Amino acid sequence: MFIPTPRVQVPSAAAKGEVFQVKALISHQMETGLRRDQQGNVIPRRIINKFACRYNDIVVFGVDLHEAMAANPYIEFYLRATESGRLEFIWEEDGGHTYALTHQLTVG
Amino acid sequence: MVEGTKRANFTRRALFTAAAAAGAGLAGGVFISQVDASDSDDDVAIVKQLTGKTPAGSDRVHLVMPSKFPNGYTVPLSLDIDSPMTEADHVRNVRVFAPRNPLVEVARFHFVPGRSEPRASTRIRLAEPQYVLAVAEMSDGALLMSKTWVEVATNGCA
Repeated sequence: MFIPTPRVQVPSAAAKGEVFQVKALISHQMETGLRRDQQGNVIPRRIINKFACRYNDIVVFGVDLHEAMAANPYIEFYLRATESGRLEFIWEEDGGHTYALTHQLTVG
Repeated sequence: MVEGTKRANFTRRALFTAAAAAGAGLAGGVFISQVDASDSDDDVAIVKQLTGKTPAGSDRVHLVMPSKFPNGYTVPLSLDIDSPMTEADHVRNVRVFAPRNPLVEVARFHFVPGRSEPRASTRIRLAEPQYVLAVAEMSDGALLMSKTWVEVATNGCA
């Protein structure tokens, strides 16, 4: 069984007010539900349908993903450094399973 | 399971039927140039069907994609919206549509004023050469739209 692995690339320090880049990626097949197996049965949809980034428990960025997102969905986005604290990245899969990573950010 | 059950199934057939009907109605009453007007009318009709609002074309929405790409599986996409991102004037979200994909909705990016910049990059699947649409919903409720032509050599949705 293929186990999705989330990864993020985030700076560990930023100046107050600075905008920094976040790269988030999860290895995932993103099965669209449009394909059929060799017996002609529809392969059920199983995608990451939601991504969210929380900054000290406040949602600061999010994405709703649909079938047309590429496999191993990659999302690059930009946050403003407001205070030191914890960044949390959450991926939600069809069926309710979630994958998460946390990252500590120091704002000087 | 919550998300799994509320799939937005906007099929291409339903959309194009609606768009064609809208186009036919318009052509009956108004004499318009056939070539470019019909195309953009389709896009407006599609976005109206999906969002319930009429979008306005805007140069504040920057949608950057390669005009030609060898495969439809991982086509790069970058978004950048001109906005001060204040409480009074910001981008709430940006939706991406691929009207000639079997399922038209691609993604919706949510932004928060003062916390995230209205910029993002990702990779999407395209079934065939088409205009990809980006529709930004602003804090006053207005929809700003931009589109870009992408020619893919293989079907990324098969």
